[in-house]
Amino acid sequence: MPSSTTERGAGPGTEVVERLTAEWAEPPTLRGWFSTVDHKRIGRRYLVTAAVFFGFAGFSALAMRTQLAGPEAEILSPGEYNQLFSMHGTAMIFLFSTPMLFGFGNFLVPLMVGARDMAFPRLNAFGYWVFLFAGLFMWASVPAGAAPNGGWFAYVPLTDERHTPGLHLDVYTLGLLFLGISTSAGAINFIVTSLKLRAPGMSLNRVPVFVWAIVATSFMVIFALPVLNLDNALLFLDRRFDTRFFDTDRGGNVLLWQHLFWIFGHPDVYIIVMPALGIVSAVLPVFCRRGIVAYPLIVLSVVAIAIISFGVWVHHMFATGLPQLSYGFFSAASTIITIPSGLQIFAWLATMLLGRIVVRVPFLFVVGFIVTFVIGGFTGVMFALTAFDQQTTDSYFVVAHFHYVLFGGAVFPILAAIYYWLPKISGRMYSERLGRYAFWLIFVGMNLTFFPMHVSGLLGMPRRVYTYPGGLGWDPWNLLATVGAYVLGLGLLLVAVGVVHALRRGAPAPDDPWGGDSLEWATSSPPKPYNFPVLPRVHSLHPVWDPRTAESTGPGATEDRILTDGRQTLFTSELDGRYERAVRMPEETLKPLVAAIGLLTVFVGLLFAWYWVAAAGGALFAGTLAGWLWPAHRTPEEAGVPA
Amino acid sequence: MTERLSPRAATFGGLLLWFAVLGGVLSWTVHALAAWSIDELTCEAGHDELAGFPLTGAIALAVLLPAAGAVAALGVSVLAWRRTRADLPEGGEQSVGRAHLLAFVGLWLNTLALAMIVLGGVAALVLSPCQR
Amino acid sequence: MTERGEGILTAATRPTGLATEEPVGRSTGWWGVMLFLTTEGTLFAALFGSYFYLRFQHGAPWPPDGIRQPELLLPLIMTAVLVPSSLPVLWAEAGIRQGRRWQLRAGLFGTLVMGGTFLGLQGVEYSGILREYTFTTNVYGSLFYAITTFHGSHVAVGLLMVCWLLVASLHGSFGPHRYERVRIVAYYWHFVDAVWVAILFTVYLSPRL
Ligand code: HEM
Repeated sequence: MPSSTTERGAGPGTEVVERLTAEWAEPPTLRGWFSTVDHKRIGRRYLVTAAVFFGFAGFSALAMRTQLAGPEAEILSPGEYNQLFSMHGTAMIFLFSTPMLFGFGNFLVPLMVGARDMAFPRLNAFGYWVFLFAGLFMWASVPAGAAPNGGWFAYVPLTDERHTPGLHLDVYTLGLLFLGISTSAGAINFIVTSLKLRAPGMSLNRVPVFVWAIVATSFMVIFALPVLNLDNALLFLDRRFDTRFFDTDRGGNVLLWQHLFWIFGHPDVYIIVMPALGIVSAVLPVFCRRGIVAYPLIVLSVVAIAIISFGVWVHHMFATGLPQLSYGFFSAASTIITIPSGLQIFAWLATMLLGRIVVRVPFLFVVGFIVTFVIGGFTGVMFALTAFDQQTTDSYFVVAHFHYVLFGGAVFPILAAIYYWLPKISGRMYSERLGRYAFWLIFVGMNLTFFPMHVSGLLGMPRRVYTYPGGLGWDPWNLLATVGAYVLGLGLLLVAVGVVHALRRGAPAPDDPWGGDSLEWATSSPPKPYNFPVLPRVHSLHPVWDPRTAESTGPGATEDRILTDGRQTLFTSELDGRYERAVRMPEETLKPLVAAIGLLTVFVGLLFAWYWVAAAGGALFAGTLAGWLWPAHRTPEEAGVPA
Repeated sequence: MTERLSPRAATFGGLLLWFAVLGGVLSWTVHALAAWSIDELTCEAGHDELAGFPLTGAIALAVLLPAAGAVAALGVSVLAWRRTRADLPEGGEQSVGRAHLLAFVGLWLNTLALAMIVLGGVAALVLSPCQR
Repeated sequence: MTERGEGILTAATRPTGLATEEPVGRSTGWWGVMLFLTTEGTLFAALFGSYFYLRFQHGAPWPPDGIRQPELLLPLIMTAVLVPSSLPVLWAEAGIRQGRRWQLRAGLFGTLVMGGTFLGLQGVEYSGILREYTFTTNVYGSLFYAITTFHGSHVAVGLLMVCWLLVASLHGSFGPHRYERVRIVAYYWHFVDAVWVAILFTVYLSPRL
């Protein structure tokens, strides 16, 4: 229970703090801005960049909704509409959801496990720059009129060279390959950080659910993303170099694209939703004034979803005519996966029932999430009936369904997280009143936008049409959806206003405004560059509510957890979090940025078929990497060579 | 902890716990990939046997062997879960508590995996292999 | 402490046995390279999966369009060059662990020679096959060249890393306390070798089955 937060802060003396600051503070210069390796700054950048990409994708959606407000509108041409919905979908999935959640992971995982940075800080910086460049690479194609236009899953043969000439799909394949480097690097970093850098005493049964969720997500990325990368590489080769993987005239097969895409795509739905569920498990209990109910079941659910989601891929291909039995082996997975998902919902409900609820803005968004997500899950179950599925495939019903899942499952938790952790990230409190207005606008707007799409879908309106004839009964539903989209947009704008307002005018935030239980609340708001003056010792699942942990950072703290000699943090053992040794962390450097610029050059060169430019970019990348990883020179004695 | 184990027994115990956690889902992976590829590829080629072996028999093997693996893992996980249940003084050795959590996760993972394999088997009983 | 034979099972299933930490005590570098190789392995697995998918969807004859079965002599020689090239790496690593820098350098050099020979032989192989079919001929050609080139580029990257290690070792950066980079490159190299064995089976041997 939240208690005994008083003796915290009686940490080590000022002299220690000065030495730590001298080691960890980064110079406030322009160079320092580009060379930072601090996971908190990088995490903030992820958040801001992903939010900007969300804005772009949101404006694309508003443009589409404006066009669809009434029948036979002529604001957008068919070609423009195709590019807009493709970019909207692609960006929302790849450039917003995952990077945004990785941004929270970046900021929070080291704090939650009680470390001073990520395991690979420079790789972390590199991952951010690659994400930024890949996003700009893809968005730059919109003003150039060369944006992807084959939908977010880019089915061949529609997307092969013959049917879609031009750069559109090359931007898609190359952009996603480029981005994939960042996502994979981030995933590896999260796993290793959570395995090796946890505070002493944090055995696996004391790891916060959010960290479990990020790690499970990262494992899904590791096994799913290579398949998407392969798919995109093959499509690029087919389009550019006339290979025949998808060319049925020369023995290729178009279904290969779909299989590979959905082997990735189904886990990807969970890659998006899983960290968001982790956010809910972090936020909800705090506003119920108790620990989460059934922690072991939630851990089980996280692990089970991560694994079983790989077995669900063929259910996206009910319309393609494989032997029924071969579906049979996989529909079992589609059925069973609902069990762990349901478990989490029940655990949250139980937490609310058993706790004393305090309604604040983050809590409101969590409730909004539960409501929308359950509706989305319900319409999802309807698809499991094959007959219904074949009726509604490619109609607006599908659009409504996946927005309930994705908006409900990702955007609501992300908004909850923004309000919940803003005090920690910025050191400022937000305005509760602005937050509530924003919540209600978003909640109403979201339902107003997407609920009518169920109806127009059932009335037969197909998705991905740039306009429609009047008098089919679709008009009122479309108008409603468009009005909803504007209301929703207004609500989201209010969130942005609220954040800016907090940064400018907000009251200073206390270290632990909510009485949270995980370690990020045990340090200052915003955290110092070294995160913790003394690395805490963990004795239970709720370290901040545990007086023993507070004691471990108090006056009696031992030097082996203060570590003021250079930038240092701790290695602990993988499963039980036993103290192993102190290790050095790298200084800030420009090399990650230069390496990312090298990669950008490679991809731009490939896009425009300037292969010499691409080669030069590759050389820059390899050269930078060689210098980056160059081992420090050591005398034979230092290296341990016998004379 | 007072008792000491030989290094071999200790390593073996640690690995056994991992079998208890992941054995079931690994069996399910083998089952799904084997059964699916046997079925789809054989039917695609227009046969109903695989190198002289009847297709239904091959599919039955691809159900039963993994099912046996999942059952074994389930057994080990139940054992591990019960053995590590011993209440330890608060703040004492965290390893046993951690092993208990992992065994618990394994127990349910194995159950889910077994259920999926069995459902696959039921499908194989109900549907004829190459029916579209 | 005395359990043996059937006793090991009893001991291992005691709470202390089950609660033994495994894996334990690895470095972040070790975990990083293992996870990286996992993504790489998944990529190759998906590539092989695509090979078999396309092949079986295509049906007989395979290779299609009158392309002959792949020749085996040269690939077998290439195998005989590449797979043993893991040995000098192991030997080099064992050397630096004992502080013998010359052994590190000699081992890495041996690997460099063997890997380079492999790439040269691949060039010889291509120059013959390109006359028969290219990657645009049909899906078989696309698969053949994509798989072998993708692996070949991994060998090339591995060789670059070996060169990099050689230069660093001439600078005198490594010793018994400091050789993690050698280990990491070694893991990568073993991985590339193992993938070649899978390619030998998939691309060269399986069409004859
Ligand atoms: C901000 C409010 C949003 C609005 C107003 C909106 C609206 C739309 C509209 C109008 C379409 C096009 C439907 C069609 O023509 O077929 C669409 C498609 C799509 N949206 Fe959204 N959306 C929003 C948020 C999101 C979010 C948060 C996500 C994911 C995290 C998302 C993912 C998608 C996807 C994947 C598609 C399909 C693109 C395709 O057909 O290839 N959207 N959305």
